Amino acid sequence: MRENIKASIFDIFSFGYLLTLAFVTCYQPTEDQFLDIRVGAIVTLICFIVGWVLTFVLYKFNVKTLGLLIFEAAHKKALGNKKGFFKSFWGWHLQILFWATFIVSIYVTEFSFDDLFYVKGLEGAQRIFVSLLTPNLAILPQGLMAIFETVFMAFMSTVIAVPIAFVLSFVCAKNVMGKTMIGFSVYSVIRIFNNIVRSIEPLIWAIIFSVWVGIGPFAGMLALMITSVASLTKQYSEFIEGVSEGPIEGIQSTGANSLQVIWYAIVPQIVLPYISYTIYRWDINVRMATIIGLVGGGGIGTMLMNYQGQALWHEVGTLALLIVIVVWAMDTASAYIREAIK
Amino acid sequence: MSTILSVKNLVKTYPNGVQALKGVSFDVKKGEFVVIIGLSGSGKSTLLRCLNRLHDPTSGEVIFDGKNIVKIQGAEIRGLRKKMAMIFQSFNLIDRHTVISNVLTGNLHRTGTFKSILGIFSEEEKSIANKFLKLVGIGDKANYRADQLSGGQKQRVAIARALAQEPEVLLADEPVASLDPATCHVVMDYLEKVNKELGITIICNLHFLSLVRRYATRVIALKGGEVMYDGDPKAIDNKWFETIYGEGAKEVHIN
Repeated sequence: MRENIKASIFDIFSFGYLLTLAFVTCYQPTEDQFLDIRVGAIVTLICFIVGWVLTFVLYKFNVKTLGLLIFEAAHKKALGNKKGFFKSFWGWHLQILFWATFIVSIYVTEFSFDDLFYVKGLEGAQRIFVSLLTPNLAILPQGLMAIFETVFMAFMSTVIAVPIAFVLSFVCAKNVMGKTMIGFSVYSVIRIFNNIVRSIEPLIWAIIFSVWVGIGPFAGMLALMITSVASLTKQYSEFIEGVSEGPIEGIQSTGANSLQVIWYAIVPQIVLPYISYTIYRWDINVRMATIIGLVGGGGIGTMLMNYQGQALWHEVGTLALLIVIVVWAMDTASAYIREAIK
Repeated sequence: MSTILSVKNLVKTYPNGVQALKGVSFDVKKGEFVVIIGLSGSGKSTLLRCLNRLHDPTSGEVIFDGKNIVKIQGAEIRGLRKKMAMIFQSFNLIDRHTVISNVLTGNLHRTGTFKSILGIFSEEEKSIANKFLKLVGIGDKANYRADQLSGGQKQRVAIARALAQEPEVLLADEPVASLDPATCHVVMDYLEKVNKELGITIICNLHFLSLVRRYATRVIALKGGEVMYDGDPKAIDNKWFETIYGEGAKEVHIN
């Protein structure tokens, strides 16, 4: 029954979506009409209601729609499908859904081979590429300063994030917290909060903090720190949930208290994955710090943004080269270190 | 000899509805070497874990040191576990720590949380740990990492850890089930030594009847969560064996 609800939601949405697309294609509204939210809402609603009726009718006649195929119960899936892809309703359902979306995407992204191979455009791109490959080494000292700022920014944000995430990860692990009612509610609240923080891009955090503490590396560091806490907590708690129960029972049976059990039975099992993932996080933060710099987070990103705004492509080339070298070095080093301590 | 442990009508029903123990009753006297036998799933492991409260019994009584331990909580449970040490089929050591550090965890119940997180143990505790490592014959392995040892050696470390608790009872959950036949006897011999020399009462789950006859002073057979037999291990004949393990079962001897 539950599967049927999921399937019907899927089908109503897919039919409603297709009907809305069909309506827009036939009626060809102007931009003003598009922006009229009230009419748009009514039209969409009507299309979805028709989609709902259609779904209802199809279910009545036992037609196997795409939704029913995806969400059917496991024991029915085991029986296999007798009808082939092109002979079945769901096959056409999937195809129409895919191709309709594909065609709409071509229009929306203004895909054009003409623009891609336009001679003047190509010349412009060539100019930039040549400038990028002939970097202006005069700004190398400033560039180095800026990239050091970025690397240290990433390091600082990781270092502050690690102890906070370490503590939170135990609170976010089901096998530690899930045993009592209070524990489970704390676990749920922290977990939801964590998911919210994680779903906000570091770029947005950087904008928030650059208003809060002013543009510069401090804002960028705070933005990286808060996303690192969320992401490390999530990853760490998954390591904790994966530890083997044996040592936990072993330490419990000696009469140890909960903190001692965590320290002696859980921590030794997670130390290596923790270190490994933390190094990886630092590596990610260096790359992220560059991007965050673009919105005022300081470091090489901010410098890159300045030169790019003035169309100083030789200087941009220097900075791009620096970023490539540092990111490559960090990436390689972290991969080797993680491999070695496994 | 006085009764050290008295189990009365013990019932354990898991949340998924499986009834692992259906009213088990028996007494254990101080200094006995009790072996519990039965098929996999007959409730042996559940029974041991109900005794030291790794699992919570559903109903019934377990009287240990004159106190019913079925409903105790928190610090009282830790006090109980201190006196009732346990070893496991999969050893359950901390693999990344040294052997001596593993044995020292037997002292956790009397070490403060802060001290134990810093890993501070007294010289006396260390010398006691070394003494027990020598007792189980691996005094020279103290500074090896636990995951460097063989299965039989790991189980001896687990015994030393249990002894460091200075327990009155030692629970052994299939201590030799993942060991080869020769190592089996080594580990069982040490358990016997612990029983005879230190006077620690042992309650042990086993699979092999030949080991039961060799080491047990008393045997309890479980089937489907109920006690089928309670008495002298020498008296288990083929008829009893078939009742416990089902028709057509053949006894396997290991030497």
